[in-house]
This record gives sequence, structure tokens and C-alpha cells, in this order.
Amino acid sequence: MEVSWLHFIPLLPLVGAAINGLAGRWLPKAWVYAVALVVVLLSFCMGVFAWVQVARLESDVAQLRELVYTWFSAGSLRVDLGLTLDRLSGTLVLVVTGVGFLIHLYSVGYMDEDPAYWRYFSYLNLFVASMLLLVLADNLVAMFVGWEGVGLCSYLLIGFWYDDDAKAYAGRKAFVVNRIGDFGFLIGIFVVYLYTGQVSFQALKVAPLSLGVASAAAALLFVGAIGKSAQLPLYVWLPDAMAGPTPVSALIHAATMVTAGVYMVARLSFLYVQAPGVLAAVAVIGILTAFVGAIIGTAQMDIKRVLAYSTVSQLGYMFVGVGVGAFAAGTAHLITHAFFKACLFLGSGAVIHGLHGEQDMARMGGLRRSGLKHTAITFVIATIAITGILPFSGFFSKDEILARALNTRSFDFLTLGWQGPRLTFLGPAIYALGTLTALITSFYMWRCYLLTFEGEYRGPREVHPHEAPWVMTVPLWALAALSIVGAVIVLPGHDLSFTWEHFTEGVFARTRGAAPAERLPEIVAFAIALAVAWAGFGAAWALYAPQLALTGEERLARATPGIHKALVAKLYVDELYDRIIVKPLWGTARALWRIVDATLIDGLLVNGPAQLVAAVGSVARRFQNGDVQRYAAVTALGVAILVYVFLVRG
Amino acid sequence: MVGPLHYLVLAALLFGLGAVGVVLRRNALIVLMSIELMLNAVNLTFLTFSRFPLVQTAPTQGGFLTGHAAVFFVIAVAAAEAAVGLAIVIAVFRSRTSVNVDEFDTLKF
Repeated sequence: MEVSWLHFIPLLPLVGAAINGLAGRWLPKAWVYAVALVVVLLSFCMGVFAWVQVARLESDVAQLRELVYTWFSAGSLRVDLGLTLDRLSGTLVLVVTGVGFLIHLYSVGYMDEDPAYWRYFSYLNLFVASMLLLVLADNLVAMFVGWEGVGLCSYLLIGFWYDDDAKAYAGRKAFVVNRIGDFGFLIGIFVVYLYTGQVSFQALKVAPLSLGVASAAAALLFVGAIGKSAQLPLYVWLPDAMAGPTPVSALIHAATMVTAGVYMVARLSFLYVQAPGVLAAVAVIGILTAFVGAIIGTAQMDIKRVLAYSTVSQLGYMFVGVGVGAFAAGTAHLITHAFFKACLFLGSGAVIHGLHGEQDMARMGGLRRSGLKHTAITFVIATIAITGILPFSGFFSKDEILARALNTRSFDFLTLGWQGPRLTFLGPAIYALGTLTALITSFYMWRCYLLTFEGEYRGPREVHPHEAPWVMTVPLWALAALSIVGAVIVLPGHDLSFTWEHFTEGVFARTRGAAPAERLPEIVAFAIALAVAWAGFGAAWALYAPQLALTGEERLARATPGIHKALVAKLYVDELYDRIIVKPLWGTARALWRIVDATLIDGLLVNGPAQLVAAVGSVARRFQNGDVQRYAAVTALGVAILVYVFLVRG
Repeated sequence: MVGPLHYLVLAALLFGLGAVGVVLRRNALIVLMSIELMLNAVNLTFLTFSRFPLVQTAPTQGGFLTGHAAVFFVIAVAAAEAAVGLAIVIAVFRSRTSVNVDEFDTLKF
């Protein structure tokens, strides 16, 4: 259905960003807050209006479309700024603006004392606008604009306190690592255009693609997703991104931006199902990331870092979901994760706020009884949701992904190499590792909760923990509530009409290969998932029960000294990258600078001619001594020579 | 019998004398006079070729008149040049209290 008002959804936050960015410095504080909050809220209301319309339409035509204008056309290439709101993008618009609004509200409390609050809200609005463009774009190029826009805002907000060198460095690191991924994304767009002459999703859906082209395009676009969604091997920027203000971590580095990669794969499901090998790679990278993120998360003592590695790990789950062809399950986890992870991050923000900037869990403890009651309760709700304990949302969405991975048969016809073994084992292997990861997830999240909120307060005497103001606790409660009711959309009954899977039926393509087999009865899979979640809780309780304080951490370190040390050091991945990539690059750059630039270009090619001219000139200027008679003599001599040459000899 | 060669040799001698004067004499007035000498050497050459034309069928009995015309131009230009040249010499003398050409060498690198 064509409409003409869709562009207001991303435009409103953009206007807000412009107002606060250009004039916020001189506006009264309340106005800045009002502008920032109202534009997002209006966007949200329009999103609801649009979503209701889309939900009413038949599922296979459920789209609102708007051609805003033709952005550019050159030869056969035509790129429109077109927006499409279907059931997937519409729901994501609600998540982005809804969670975004709650986090804007929370930021009013969190950033109140910061002198640059207007700059912060401008960036935050700009982020929402970019994210909405990314979600609503109906072609790859417009999506790329949003994709880069969110990357820019991420960079600006990670390095928000740019006078701190470490934070500015974290911003640059995020930007550079994302750049590597975006490079792949851009090449992917070129490949798609080269072989189809199209960039809009609508046209690409019906464009015939050979297996090779589809695989190349899908793989290159997935490189973009690896960067943006912090997957192996480019996940290293996300934990460092915690240098930004905590609400930013909640909105950008947990709930929305980092899930853009998952959204992109789901949006391009029609392309990815044509490249089953790439889908298998997506699933494998996803599960490895989930595992690595989870094990590193078990040993971190910085509360935000735990949550950051948890985000890396959960994003891995989402990629497992889309990788095994369960696009609905992957995106459902995206949505539920947005709720509970935003809640966890905002909770950690409330803790940091209450402890005046303390992030080390070693100096926390007992916060539930020393004032941060709302924070503690909402944190526990979100923890239950993420660890997958019934009946909260995380259980259903994560379990659905693992079940689909176990039962998938979309890899059955793939082989390892030309004549290698068939990949039938891949699904069950992913399931096994995913279940193990779920156990670890439960362990580190309960460890995080117990260390922070239970036991005795271990911080310095002079810091008195205090509860956050209402503007911060209201979003916490709202997100906690969403973490619970979010389960509704992912209930396992396949015949229920309101489930996400049913709702998005017309959006996603189907994978090739046989229909899923049932390798385990559903009830057994549920039992295993639940047992694993409780086992994680048990393990955490055994080591970090309230009366044990930090002794559990020491026992763990003594029991497995090597492993624990490596995990604390984040598996030395940063050091490894530094050794094999950053240092050689620096060396090469230095050599290029010294030899090619300074010596060859500056010395030889730029200053060389100048020096040559100067040398010739220092000799030649001896002839111009100002003595007219010398000139006359030389002229006479010259004339005499000419006369001799032309008249006498010639 | 005095032929064209005599005139031409005289003109060449005068021209050489003038050139040597321009190059060697220090006094600006003498230099200007030497220039006059060179110009007049040229005039003499013009007149020689008017009186003794190289082609046998000259338009008038006295030879070509073009040479005469050129000579008048040279005389006029020489007068103008002498006026300007002397004015410059006076102007320079006022600032430098000297008319020695080899001292006027500021116009260089």
C-alpha cells in the first residue's frame, strides 16, 4: 500500500538531532530534553499507527511503501530513497523507537550532570534516525546510508567523553573495526549491482542469481554484519565500546545497532537461502561467537564488560537462528534480547550512577538491601529472561533457535570441500555447543547478579549507594515488563495465530533442503534447556552465594589458574590482533611514510624540481649583475656571433 | 673614385667605435653620445645603399628613396631617445650625485 507519510518516522528524530545539535547549547535544559523525547515519542506513535495498519493487511502483502524521491540515477543504476514498512521492519521500528524512547527518558536522569547533555541528546536522536532509515530502507544503498549513520553515531557516543584518551581510543577502535566490515558490505552491494543491475529488495527478490554470485554477495554482505554485529573475528570493538555512557551501551551496543547485521540477513533472506554454504558459515560463526563471548564473560569483573560479552554471545545466537534458516526465530530473539539486555544495561547504569562511577563488581555487593531495590528487582527479572528460565521471554526465543538448529536439514546436501563428509552433523553440533553456551550464560549472568546485588557491600565507606531517580527506574520497570510479556510473541505453539513466526510468514524466504526433522521431542528439548539454565544458576550459587563474597572468584582462579588467567585477559585476542595486524600495519605505514612519502614524494618529486631550479638559478643569476655595459657587451657579442653564423658562414 | 665600399667601411668603423664607447665608457653622457654614433653609422649605411643600389634599375637617378625615409625616422627617434636618455641621466644624478654607469647596478637578483 502506497502512503506518503512514512518518511516522517525517520525524519522526526533527525529534526530533533538538528535542533539540539545546532541550537541546544543556547536552549534551556528542559527544552533540550523535551525536543529529544518528543520527536522519538512521535516517531513511536506513527510507528504504532503504521504497524496496526500492516498487521491488519493480509500477511503476504502487508507492506506500507513510500517513494520519498529518486536519490540518484546514472545509466542503468537508479537508487530511490524508498521506505518499506512490513511486519518485520514495522516491529523493529517499534522496538527502536519504543526502547529508544525509554532510554532517552533514562538518559535525562543519567546525563543530567553532564555539561554536554545537548550534544549527547543530539547524537542519540541522530542515532535513532539512522537506525530507522536502516530498518525502513527498501534498497541496499539507502540501507547502507543508515548502516554508516549508526556507525557514525556509535563512534561519536563511544568517544563522547573525548578528553579521556582511552575513551577516544575505544571510539576509534570501534570505527576502524566497523570500517573493515563495512568495506565487505559495500563490495557486496557492488557485486549485487554488477550481476543484477538492481539494488532494491523488491527487484532483487525476483532477480535470477547463480549459486556463485549469490554466495559471493551473501558472504560479502555478511562481512558487514560481522563487523556491525560484533561476531568473530571482529567482535573486539564491542567490549571496548563500553567506554561510552551506559544508556548508549543499552541502546546502541545491546538493543538496536549491533542487531543490524541480524536484521540485514533476515531482510535479505531471499538472497541467503540461495547461498546455503554461506548460511552454514553464518551459523558456525554465530555459535562460535556465542561460545567465546560467554566464556570470556565468566571471568570479567567490570559489570559493563560482562554485559558486553553477553551481548556478543547473544548476537551469536541470533546468527545461529538466521543461519539455520529460522529467520523468525533469530529476529524474535533480536526483539526479546533488545528488551532484557537494555534492561540489564540500564540496571548496570543505575548501579554505576548510584555508586558514583564505580564499575568493578569487586567493590559492589549487597546493593539490593542498600537502597537499589527497583534496580535489583528489574535486574533479576532481566537475568531470568536472558538465562532462559521459564516463563520469561529469553527461554522461548533462545530455545526456539536451538531447537531449530538441532532439527535443521538445510545443511544436509552440503559437503565439506569437494568430496568431504556431508554436513548433517552440523545442526546437532550447533545445538550441543549452544546448550553448553546456555549453561555458561546462566552461570555468568547469575555470577554478575550475585556479586552486584547480594552479600555485603564491599565498596569504600565514603560512597553511599543510592537509588536512581524516577526517570531512570520507570524505564527499568517498563523494560522488565517487556522482558516478561515479550514471551508472548515467541510462545512455542505453532498453531497460535499471534506468534512471531506466524506473524512474519510472508516476510522470510524458505531455506532449501528437506523439511526439519524432529531429532528430539519438543518436551525433552525444553527440559534440557531448563535444566541447563538451573544448572548454571546452581554453579553460580555454589561459587558466589551471598555469604561467600569474593572467595568464590579466588577458588575458581586457583582451581583453573591457566584458563582463568586467559579468560580474564580476554583470551589475548586484542594482544594477538595487535601483534599480527596492528603492529605490522603501523610498521608498513611508518615505512611508507618515511621512504615513499617523505623521501621519494616529498624529497624527490616535490622538492626535487624546486631544488634543481634553485641550483640552476644560483649559477644563472651571476649573469644578471645590474651592469648595463656588461649586458651591452654580451648583446654585442651575441649579435657578432649571429652575424658570423648566418652571414659569413651561411 | 669613392665607391660604396668606402662608405660602408667608414660606417662599420663608426659603429664599432660607438659600440666600444657604449661598452667601455663610464660616463652616461658619453654612452649616450656613443649610441648616437652607432645610430648615425646605421644612417650612413642606409644612405650608401640608397646612393648605390644593389639592383641596376633604381626608380630615380639618385637611387631608392626608402633609405632616406628610414634615415629621417632614425634621426627623429634618436632625438627622442637623446631627450629621454638625458632626462633619465639628470634624474639619476639627482638621487645618486653621479653619472657613472657602472655605479647604477641595483637592478639585479
